[in-house]
Amino acid sequence: MAGDRAASIDPDALSWYEATARQRVAALADPGSFQEFLPPTERRMSPHLPLFDLPRAFDDGIVVGRATLDGGPVLIAAQEGRFMGGAFGEIHGGKLVGLLRAALDLKPKAVLILFDTGGVRLQEANAGETAIAETMRAIVEVRAAGIPVIGLIGGRAGCYGGGGLIAGTCSRLAVSESGRISVSGPEVIETNKGAEEFDSRDRALVWRTMGGKHRRLTGGADAFCADTVFAFRRAALGLIGRAPAFDLATLEAEQARLEDRIARFGDCRDATDVWRRLGVNDPETVPAMDTDAFEATVARVREADHDAR
Amino acid sequence: MTEWRGERQARDARIAAGRTFAEGKVVPAGAVVDLLEVILRPGDRVCLEGDNQKQADCLARGLSACDPAKIHDLHMVQSGIVLPEHLDVFETGIAKRLDYSYSGPQGARIAKMLYGGQIELGAVHTYLELFARYFIDLTPNVALIAGVSADRNGNLYTGPNTEDTPTVVEATAFKNGVVVAQVNQIVDRVPRVDIPGDRVDFVVEADKPFYVEPLFTRDPAAMTETQILIAMMAIKGIYAEYGIRRLNHGIGFGTAAIELLLPTYGEKLGLKGKIATHWALNPHPTLIPAIESGWVKQVHCFGSEVGMDRYIRERPDIFFTGADGSLRSNRAFCQTAGLYACDMFIGATLQIDLMGHSSTVTQSRVAGFGGAPNMGSDPHGRRHPSDAWMKAGREGQIVGDPALMRGRKLVVQLVETFGDKLVPTFVEKLDALELARKIGLELAPVMIYADDVTHIVSEEGIANLLLCRDADEREQAIRGVAGYTEVGRGRDRAKVEELRARGIIRRPEDLGIEPLDADRALLAAKSIKDLVHWSGGLYEPPAKFRNW
Repeated sequence: MAGDRAASIDPDALSWYEATARQRVAALADPGSFQEFLPPTERRMSPHLPLFDLPRAFDDGIVVGRATLDGGPVLIAAQEGRFMGGAFGEIHGGKLVGLLRAALDLKPKAVLILFDTGGVRLQEANAGETAIAETMRAIVEVRAAGIPVIGLIGGRAGCYGGGGLIAGTCSRLAVSESGRISVSGPEVIETNKGAEEFDSRDRALVWRTMGGKHRRLTGGADAFCADTVFAFRRAALGLIGRAPAFDLATLEAEQARLEDRIARFGDCRDATDVWRRLGVNDPETVPAMDTDAFEATVARVREADHDAR
Repeated sequence: MTEWRGERQARDARIAAGRTFAEGKVVPAGAVVDLLEVILRPGDRVCLEGDNQKQADCLARGLSACDPAKIHDLHMVQSGIVLPEHLDVFETGIAKRLDYSYSGPQGARIAKMLYGGQIELGAVHTYLELFARYFIDLTPNVALIAGVSADRNGNLYTGPNTEDTPTVVEATAFKNGVVVAQVNQIVDRVPRVDIPGDRVDFVVEADKPFYVEPLFTRDPAAMTETQILIAMMAIKGIYAEYGIRRLNHGIGFGTAAIELLLPTYGEKLGLKGKIATHWALNPHPTLIPAIESGWVKQVHCFGSEVGMDRYIRERPDIFFTGADGSLRSNRAFCQTAGLYACDMFIGATLQIDLMGHSSTVTQSRVAGFGGAPNMGSDPHGRRHPSDAWMKAGREGQIVGDPALMRGRKLVVQLVETFGDKLVPTFVEKLDALELARKIGLELAPVMIYADDVTHIVSEEGIANLLLCRDADEREQAIRGVAGYTEVGRGRDRAKVEELRARGIIRRPEDLGIEPLDADRALLAAKSIKDLVHWSGGLYEPPAKFRNW
């Protein structure tokens, strides 16, 4: 049995979706290189959750620290989707903002954010919203200092709410098929607009609209990985090497890219309409494609790769 | 002079009246209400086919649209109360009395209507019990059934979800009743004849295909380590020890976890071919890895499951299929098989009391029983031995001549000490008793009675109730696996340790199981997509279960 558990830490086989935040970090970084800041032994826990009689986590649902990746120094933050859906609370957000600010002094090769979040923690919403804003500002400063910020998205909770906003400020994003990126979640859209507009229980629709393949095809994500820690590691290394400069030209290109996207796809009713217009021959087959077939499809789509963001 | 043909003449009159809306036997969907209003009579006993899975929904909409001034006080006799229309007819007065088995999705509303007195309840039956009464004192005057296709003579193809249809038609057609079938399409030749045309009086081409609920699909991605631990204990402590080859599984996550552990954990224990070979079971998608790994010899099904049809077609050595290649299910036969030909039933429940009575009824929901009490009971009519059955019999025998000993069916409850929303599973008193008192039921809706239960498995361990020798031991054995619930904390520590020493309670460590080994890595499939891969792309999960 112990052998099984050891096998499950093998980064070649370890499923990103299945892994905990700590397993992801340990298997992503060079072996044994990860050093955690404010580890669980420090007991930095939410001051707010006891008011609601809710259980706390010793790390407030986020693991931050430094490591090496292929020998190069990096800072890593990993959200734990299993604790309150990876939601941003005061401590959780503070640890992420602190890590990003430390990057300005430590000058790593990159900052990696392993998103796994439903957004702001409702029980500490003000602190959470503040943390989202501070994180985005900190990312901008880190990028302005020439350090790429890479988002990795393939966890159970997806990357929603403020997490979706933060992902939008990253230099580059890697996503797996199970990964989802959006701001409003399926249930929120259904509640506000009705099941006719968006049926949150139609999971195929949810993934078609917010899932990794759609985000990759439209250039919302810059790399697509199989669901293994190994694939994410390889994607992260690749993206660090080709992160865009953070300057006026990049921002103007991003603005143009987004305006063009609305103009081209604004009237589409379903993601398959978008894919067809992108030039995918048989859009209905996209969801069932394996990674290789999908990569081949991406290679034929112009919008998937760009110099913007 | 005595009239011996009154029923037959009444039936002929109904059919003659109905023919005015039909071309031969075929009635357009738009004329359903007209048809029903002339073939039904006030006070009729009606089976509106509501099964566990498929629903005669077009006919249900038609019945609920009938004029209550013409059609009223019907006595509904159907196994499933599933669609809103099944209860709407009681609000309008079209129906008055109800005998049924299962009401999963309508459980809350049916409770409210029972409290409000809108439904005159006969009884909540088990499936076999209701089917049996179709032939004795609840024979339908009219059956409204559902099939996939029919020809113009009424020959009916039910498709993989045959379910209750043959039983309902048998009771109705051969006792002067009228049978109306809704089908998805009228064809020149049906793929196979599940119901011969001379038992079907009218065929309605429905406006849309009949509704089927994917009731048996459990997403491996949602399986927890607690469920995996419980599944490991069940496999090692019960399946292996009794050598259970013939069995039925309930529909919960616990049994689905067992299915997914067979090719991994079960394989490691060397149990392949020794356990879980012959099944009375719906085609659970979570059984695919065990089938593909050669664990499963054959499976007979109550009904089908959405998305499994193509897979079943390609595995005729495992499933019962027709000459056309598609699954043939049959609820009555499969329930009988589960009752008499299986050595174990294992399933979940919502509440267990101190004696081991269990119920899925809570004060606000009356979910009904379905088939669990049939399969989860010790059939006293059984006369064939098997090693598992005899071993359980020996464990349970307290007095009497060993030469006259009979075996025991294993009836295993698989529960977490705290259920959904951290509601305790173990209780001093079942909610079912309070419900029975409030609505004046003569018989409390107990799903499985204590004297049928042989084992309770929770994350705390296995309680073997067969080995308990008196009521106090039984209570302490149950408290002993009830964990941190009030019932568990009320245990007599010394007595529980004594029971443990005697092997009546067995903790994970007593079974040689390390709780930390209960890892999702053990699941043969961790997602619905993994199940699709295992099936070689033959399993086609419905959209609500796809995360791609």
